[in-house]
Amino acid sequence: MPLSYAELELFYEGLVARAQGRGIACAITSGMACVAYGVAQATQDCDLLCTPAAAGEFLDLLGEESLHGQLPSYRGHLTPPLDARWMRGGWTSHFVWKAAGAEAYLDIFGVAPRGSSPWEAELQGFYAGPHTVAEMKRTNRGKDWPFVTALGVKLLEAGDPRGWLHLFSYEVLVQTAAKLACPADMVALRPVLGLLASGDERLEVALKGEMEFWNQLDRLRIRVHEHAVRPYMLAVKRDRCSGDPALHTQHLVRVEHAERLLPVNPLRQHGLERLIGEARAQAARFVAPGALEWLPDVRGCFIGLSE
Amino acid sequence: MKAAKARPAWLTPEVLRHLKRVEYDFHVRAFGEEMARVNFLPLAERRRYVGDMVDHAVRKGVKFDKPALGVTP
Repeated sequence: MPLSYAELELFYEGLVARAQGRGIACAITSGMACVAYGVAQATQDCDLLCTPAAAGEFLDLLGEESLHGQLPSYRGHLTPPLDARWMRGGWTSHFVWKAAGAEAYLDIFGVAPRGSSPWEAELQGFYAGPHTVAEMKRTNRGKDWPFVTALGVKLLEAGDPRGWLHLFSYEVLVQTAAKLACPADMVALRPVLGLLASGDERLEVALKGEMEFWNQLDRLRIRVHEHAVRPYMLAVKRDRCSGDPALHTQHLVRVEHAERLLPVNPLRQHGLERLIGEARAQAARFVAPGALEWLPDVRGCFIGLSE
Repeated sequence: MKAAKARPAWLTPEVLRHLKRVEYDFHVRAFGEEMARVNFLPLAERRRYVGDMVDHAVRKGVKFDKPALGVTP
């Protein structure tokens, strides 16, 4: 009998409740959080933020969490160990429960990609706050962008002016501005909003430039990690113990290989300024000249990434 | 979603009504009429709808899992 969505949702919420009960800061984000915030997304896997300092405790908890009698395993050879060092470097650890008839997937982040404020400070029950979820949705996948705007409107409705930072639909921006003035501190964080205030017709082009820039920044971020993971992946793949039934053994094998072969923080190694510059150059290939003139300063969007 | 602790002065009932209209129109444009309807259902009903949709898709062979790459978009 396959696992139903309701069953999975209860399972993940139970996992978070037990972790939070042990004092571990963690929260469900991404698609399942979107459903909770009123922007339904069909999803089955669970993306979870977990504070890196509690990685060991969370791993212990996972080792006790059975689903239909099955305990979880690390998923595949590419997944880094659930260890504070790599979590702080922006890596994601992947787990799977191979329950009878269905599988449950869990991806664990320590750092919220593109996060500009500590996600731990804004939890809403089982879920990461909508501001964090919206920042994480600025991905290289076109399908995610309507969710960002929808969450932005939700934030404004809840009285949070940071909603302005997430409106990427030209129509929504113009319609919102018809009744609501955008505060100066939001314009300072997101210069494109200045075009809205002045009724500048270049707004639509500038929005396209912004989205293309985020798209390229995410593509490059992923590419840097994918390049960095190769030697580690090959070593884990060759190691017979990496598929040991015991999660603890799988973990130790991964830590051993990671300590030798997996850079803790490939983005810092690559250079954040360099990454941002490359994203800008790539984006320039796809948008109208001048469209990137109003990009935000994204150097603050790597909160939590270790030095 | 939790509202901010104290409602700011700019969030008047008129502004809130306007935002709700803008929001609904956007959901229709971005997600289609049916999903816009679902998004404005109470949480329990919305979850049930999404659950039915996902379960149906899974029965028909749709895979929702993303590749495990060590980094996630």
